[in-house]
Amino acid sequence: MAPDLRPMETPTETHIHIGEPILRWSARAQSIAEIESEISGMWSAHHPQDGADDGSVRNIAARTSVMNLVVVASGPELAERSAATIQALTGRHPSRTVVIQSADPDGPSWLDARIEAHCVLPHPDAAETCAETIHVRSGGEAGRHLSAIATPLIIHDLPVTVWWPGEPALTGPAAKRLLAGADRLVVDGSTWRSDGLDRLRQMAELQEASSLAISDFALDRQSRWREAIASIFDDPEFLPFLRSIRRIAVTFATHDETGAPGSTNLVKPIYHVGWLASRLGLSVVRPLTAVGGAARASRANVGKPISGPGLGATLSDGRREVAIVIRPIVSPMAAGTTLRVELLAERRGSELRADVTAEAETVRCRVWLDGVEALDRRFRAPRRGDVDLLADAIESGRRDPVAAGALRSAAALVAPGGPGGSAPP
Amino acid sequence: MKESREARNGRRASRAKPARNVLREGLRLERVPDPSVVVLFGATGDLAHRKVIPALYHLWRTNLLPHEFRLVAIGRRPYDDDTFRAEILASLERYSRVLPLDLDAWESFAPRIDYHRLDFDDTAGFEKLASALDAYDAEHGTPGNRLYYLAAQPSQFAELIAQLGRAGLDHERHEGGWRRVVIEKPFGHDLDSARRLNREVGKVFRESQVYRIDHYLGKETVRNLLVFRFGNGIFEPLWNRRYVDHIQITVAESIGIESRGAFYEQTGASRDVLQNHLLQLVSLVAMEPPATFEANALRDEKVKVLRAISTDPANDVVRGQYGPGWVAATQVPGYRAEDGVDPASETETFVAAKFTIDDWRWSGVPFYVRTGKRLPKRATEIAIQYREVPHRLFEDEGVTPDANLLAIRIQPDEGIMLRFGAKVPGLGLDVRSVTMDFAYGSAFNVDSPDAYETLILDALQGDASLFTRVDEVEEAWGIVDPIIDTWATASAPRFPNYDAGSWGPDAADALLEREGHRWRRI
Repeated sequence: MAPDLRPMETPTETHIHIGEPILRWSARAQSIAEIESEISGMWSAHHPQDGADDGSVRNIAARTSVMNLVVVASGPELAERSAATIQALTGRHPSRTVVIQSADPDGPSWLDARIEAHCVLPHPDAAETCAETIHVRSGGEAGRHLSAIATPLIIHDLPVTVWWPGEPALTGPAAKRLLAGADRLVVDGSTWRSDGLDRLRQMAELQEASSLAISDFALDRQSRWREAIASIFDDPEFLPFLRSIRRIAVTFATHDETGAPGSTNLVKPIYHVGWLASRLGLSVVRPLTAVGGAARASRANVGKPISGPGLGATLSDGRREVAIVIRPIVSPMAAGTTLRVELLAERRGSELRADVTAEAETVRCRVWLDGVEALDRRFRAPRRGDVDLLADAIESGRRDPVAAGALRSAAALVAPGGPGGSAPP
Repeated sequence: MKESREARNGRRASRAKPARNVLREGLRLERVPDPSVVVLFGATGDLAHRKVIPALYHLWRTNLLPHEFRLVAIGRRPYDDDTFRAEILASLERYSRVLPLDLDAWESFAPRIDYHRLDFDDTAGFEKLASALDAYDAEHGTPGNRLYYLAAQPSQFAELIAQLGRAGLDHERHEGGWRRVVIEKPFGHDLDSARRLNREVGKVFRESQVYRIDHYLGKETVRNLLVFRFGNGIFEPLWNRRYVDHIQITVAESIGIESRGAFYEQTGASRDVLQNHLLQLVSLVAMEPPATFEANALRDEKVKVLRAISTDPANDVVRGQYGPGWVAATQVPGYRAEDGVDPASETETFVAAKFTIDDWRWSGVPFYVRTGKRLPKRATEIAIQYREVPHRLFEDEGVTPDANLLAIRIQPDEGIMLRFGAKVPGLGLDVRSVTMDFAYGSAFNVDSPDAYETLILDALQGDASLFTRVDEVEEAWGIVDPIIDTWATASAPRFPNYDAGSWGPDAADALLEREGHRWRRI
C-alpha cells in the first residue's frame, strides 16, 4: 500500500521560534521498508535544510546524534500520553523516537506508521538540529514481535533506550529480545498494579542477568529526598552517626483503611530503604513481613505511633542489626507517596534522630541530638514531572551504580511472593 | 628497618581517608551549598546586572541554591529593596540566557534580594553591615556563611578587602560559618600591583578563602578540555613534542571597546586577555595530568607550565591597534576615535606572541597565541597542529595531504574537530582533507550553564579548582610584565596598523611565516 501522506511541500509554520520544535516533515508508511525509505528520502532528496519557510537563509539542519528512544505503549491512551511527554522535551529530544503500539493481537498482521521530523533552532547563530519520531501501530502476530519492529528502525551506533510506561512485560520472550538490544530501560514502578513488588524483583533479576541500565521514575522522583537525607550527614558533627543507624522508618500514604496486602503500591517507600541499605552496605537478615502492631512496641519507635498495619524487616551491617519499618497512613496524597523518612542512630551513648518530610516545593530535614534540636533546614526541591525525569533518563550514560544498588537492595528486601503474598501480575 | 617500617605505617595512617558521606554518591551535586548569604559589592554595576545576578537567578531557578539563600546587594545608589528588585527584573529580561523568564522562580527569588546602601570608604557603614548580616543569620537561618563578591571597580578591591577586615567580616567561626571572597579580574595591572593586591588580600583572608574568578575557566568547553585530555585514552599519547608541530590559541572579538574606553586605555589586550584568559588556556593545554581532580593538584600543574613559559618580547611578540573598517557589514571607527580614548593612544588592541614551554613534553613546540578587538568574528579556539607524516607516500601522485589538526572550539558553537586525509572516491588517488566534527549542541542538545553559574556554585560549595591561585596570578604577570616593559622602552609601531575587520597586523602573520607556519583561517 502506498503512503497516503507525502512529505510536506512547505513547512507548517512560517515563523521560527528559538528553542521550539517545528514540524519539518511528515509521511506515512505501511511497512518497515517504506519507513526506511521515507527516512532516507527525508535526509537526501528533500533535506530539511532546504530553505526557510519565510524565504530567509537558515543555518544547516543536522540530525542530532544523541540516542534512540523506543517507547512501548500498550494502548492508544498511553501512546498519546507518551507522545505528549516526548513532545514536551523541547530541545532535549532523542535523535530518533520509535513509539510502538500493538493492537488487535488476534487479527491479521498489519503495520501503519507515521514519520515526522521536528527541528529546533537552539540559538539564532546555531545550526538547526532535527529529531525524528516514528509512530508505529501494529496488529496481529506482527505486533507481538516488538524487536522485529524496533531493531531495523534504530540508528546504529547510538545508544538505545526503551521507555515502557504502564505495566512492562519484563519476563516475556518478546521483551527479552527487545531489551537485549537496548542500553537502558525506563519504567515507572509507582504506577504498577497491586503492591508492584513482584515486578520490582523481576526488574532486579533482569538487571543482574544483563548489562541493561534501568531508570525507574519511582526512584528518580525521590532524588529530592536523597539530597536532603544526604545533606544531614554533610555536617561533620552528624557524619559519624551515618554508620550507626539502627532504625529506618518510612511512612507512606494509603487510601485503603484496611491495609490489605497489595492494596497500595509499595515501590517508592521500599526504594528509600533500598537506597540507604545499598549505600550503607546493609544486607537482609529478615525480609519484609507484615508486622501489625509489633513495631509499635519497639523501643526505637521515635516516639510516634504507627497508624494501621505496617511491614518490618531486619538488615545488618555485619555487626549490628538495623530495624526497618514501612508503615501506611490513610492520607489524601496519592497512594504509595512517601510522607516521612525517619532515621535513628546511636553512637557512644548519643542518639541522633532525623525526620525528613516533603511538601510540593520543599523538603524539610530536622535532626535532634540526644533530644535537643540540632538542625531544621528546608531545601527548595519541587516535585519532578515525567518530562524532566524522561529527559534525565535519556541523557544518562551507562548504568548508575547507585540506582542499580538501590534496586538490588530493594528487591532483596522482598521475599518471593511479596510481604503480603501479592499475586503475580 | 623497624624504624622505616613504622615510618611507612605512620605515613599510611596519616593518609587514611577521612570518613565520607556515602549517601552523597551519585547525587546531582557533590553537596548542596550550605545556607548562605551572597554579599555583592558593585550590585548596581554592569557586571552584576549582566552576569552575576542572572547567574544567581538561574541557579535558583534550577534549584541549585539552598532554600535559605539570600542576596545582599551593596551599592552607593539611594535605592530601596523594591527599586533595586525592579531594576534587576529589567536586567534579567534583557540578559537572562533563558527567556521568557520563569516568573514563578522570580517571585520566589526576588524576596531573597535585599539592597544595602554603602560607600566603600565608610568604615562605620561596614560595621553596620556586619551587624545587619548577623541579624540576617538569625532571621533567615544562614549560619554565618558568606560569599563576598567583589564586582566593583578593580581600583576599589584593596579598600574593600581592608574594610571587610576592619569590620571583622572575614572571621570564620569555630562552630561553622565560612567566609569566602570572590575577586574579579584584573588581579592587578602588573606584577608589582598584583603582589600588592595579593598582600592586601592576604592580610585579611587566607588563600583558601580567596576565589579569583576568570570566567573563561568556567566555560563548558574549557572544562571539557580536561575531560578530553585526561578522560580519553587515545589523545594524551599524542599530546607532546613528538607528534605536535605547533599549537595556536586564538581569542578573537569582533566587538570594539564599547563604552569602556577609559578602562581599556589603562589595560590593552595584553592585560585584558593575554595575562589571564590566554595564559590560562595555554596552561590547561600544556599541563601534565594532575594526580587528583582536586583544586590544588590541578593548580600546581598549571603553575608548573607558567613557570616553564619563555618568550622573547622584542622578537616574538606583536602588538597592534585597529583603525576604521568594516565588521559584520557595519562601518566602525578606529580605536583612537572611540569614546574615552586618547586620539594619539598607543594602547594595543591586538597582541600575538610565540611562547615556548621549556619542559620535557613541549620543548621546541611553539605555542602561538593571539587576541584582538575588531577582528572579523568572535571566536575562541585551540588548534593542535600535528606534524606531517614522516614519509610522504602519496607525494608522487601529486597530492600532499594536510597534516592532522585537532581544533577545540570554545566559542561560539562549542565543539571539537579532527582533520585527517581521505581518498576521494574514484579511480585516481586524490587525497583530500575531511573533518570529523563534534558539536556540543547536536550531541547533547542541552543548554550549557553560563560560566558564572558554574563558578558561583563552585565558590558556594568551596571548590576552588576553576579559580586562579595567587601564584598563578603572579607567574602570569611574570610573563606579561617583560613584554609591557619592552614596549615601554621601544617605540610603538605606526598605529593603527590593522583595519577593523581584518585578522590583525601583517607582523602577526610574519611571526608565524618566518617558521613556515601560518595562522589558521577560522
